[in-house]
Amino acid sequence: MQNLKRKKKRKEILLVFLTIMVMVAFFYPIFVAVITSFKENREISQSVMALPQTLYIENYRIAAEKSDFIRSLLNTCIVTFPSVVLIVFCGAMGGYAIARNSERHRGFRLMDRLYLASLMIPFQIMMIPVYKIYKNLHLQNSLFGMILILTGTSVAYATFLYVGFVKSIPRELEEAAKLDGCGPYQTFFRVVFPLLKPVTVTVAALHVMWLWNDFNIALIILQKDEVRTLTVKQYYFFGQYTAEYGMAFASAILSMIPVLIFFLSAQRYLVEGVSAGAVKS
Amino acid sequence: MRFRRKRLSSEAVSKYVFLFPGLCFFTFAIVVPFFMGINIAFTDWDGIAKDYEYVGFHNFLVAFQDKRLWVPIMNTLEFAFWGVIGNTVVSLGLALLVNARTGKLSVAARTVFYIPCCFSAILTAFLWNFLYKEIVTEIFAIKNPLGMPKWVIICIVIMQLWNTSGINMMIYLSGLKNIPSDLYEAATVDGATAFQKFGKITLPLLMPAFTVCITLALTSFMKEFALPLSSTGGGPAGASRTISIYIYENLYRYNKAGYGEAISMMFVIFLVLLSTAIQSFFRKREVEI
Repeated sequence: MQNLKRKKKRKEILLVFLTIMVMVAFFYPIFVAVITSFKENREISQSVMALPQTLYIENYRIAAEKSDFIRSLLNTCIVTFPSVVLIVFCGAMGGYAIARNSERHRGFRLMDRLYLASLMIPFQIMMIPVYKIYKNLHLQNSLFGMILILTGTSVAYATFLYVGFVKSIPRELEEAAKLDGCGPYQTFFRVVFPLLKPVTVTVAALHVMWLWNDFNIALIILQKDEVRTLTVKQYYFFGQYTAEYGMAFASAILSMIPVLIFFLSAQRYLVEGVSAGAVKS
Repeated sequence: MRFRRKRLSSEAVSKYVFLFPGLCFFTFAIVVPFFMGINIAFTDWDGIAKDYEYVGFHNFLVAFQDKRLWVPIMNTLEFAFWGVIGNTVVSLGLALLVNARTGKLSVAARTVFYIPCCFSAILTAFLWNFLYKEIVTEIFAIKNPLGMPKWVIICIVIMQLWNTSGINMMIYLSGLKNIPSDLYEAATVDGATAFQKFGKITLPLLMPAFTVCITLALTSFMKEFALPLSSTGGGPAGASRTISIYIYENLYRYNKAGYGEAISMMFVIFLVLLSTAIQSFFRKREVEI
């Protein structure tokens, strides 16, 4: 018995040790980025792995200036948040309509299938046509155009998530609201939409993350420097300053901060969403 | 009576009103480009000029004889091969570690493993380019592996695993949590070893998670684009150029948008067939408790 206990204890210590090792391995690249961002170029060329001798904050100032950080951050915000609001708005309404009518209406059933099938379409096939449409409509380099396309490419998935959730809530409340004289729109916004809060939070959190990090669409549409979002901006910026590591890493850290803060505060909802298989490829 | 009819009709209309805004965005961003893409694939559009001509199946025939297309196809398959194996091993491994219930540590571990998923592909590529160029070379006293055609794909797959494994880890984790613990207890009473328990209980009951994760990993690695583009630009000498990058280059570099679109059409059909096949393969092997 004693022996068994000791064996179990040893196993536990081994597991803890292993977990910590893997955590260190996962964290190491971020650690390197942080220490490099505080080094002067001279220090980096002497030793890449050593800790910085002084905190060389100057890197951050130059990085923010040269990469026009504030502007690209603003661009990313301008693109991300309105899109997420639109996605939630369209997804919730569409999901409600489909979930409540797909049994009786063939049209809504078809819509459900169409949205689902569209999830299979990868971005690669849309790349060239979207480029063409945007060129013809003069929507290239427009953040408004970016919002349109990001919403459009995400709405099917959001609707799909809402359909599943609406089906799980009973109709009684809606019927009661109707008996009390609420019209369909009032019923939706006053009664149904508040009930959808759990899935709304998940949809919003996931899409903030995805749209914030979107690269493919922004690469095709945002060609001018002043409209570029963080990801595209960095794509060109990193290519330009491959020698000045301290500054480039400072800019990398700057762009990590907002998304990390968001992740740590919305972690619970993101984890819930992802665990439920809510993942777009 | 009149009042009643009016309300009914407004309700009948309302469901279309609810559907309408989403459908508008969807049509604009998915339906129209999709059909336009089919159209473009049959033309010689160069990506710039206003007019173009229809060339029938010419683009598709050219693709079958295009020698430059072979390398991206093989690279993409290699990405998918290492990607799926790596992703399954790493994500499942991480999930098992987190699930080992080491108290607060496992919560912290879950967070740390998931954090890289918050970063964009561009950031990941930049970070790992530095690691490969400065640190790997120093520790192992070798040349930058990203510059070696033989190793570049594996190196990029490692970056991607760091960046995205957290997502599939979550899916495996929720699968593991759903396995009733009395199964393990019963197996322990019967004297099963840890390996037997893993092979006879964990793996079969995780099949639904495998279906989701392997399909996801396969399709995302087949579509590999942002990471190789930003870390090596498809190099050295095209050794990490994927189909997606080749499509992109046909639009922006070679001015052969029509041809690029034809390739992407065939690529998409292949992807859809592949993921359907994979899904039905795994669905058949799922067991119910």
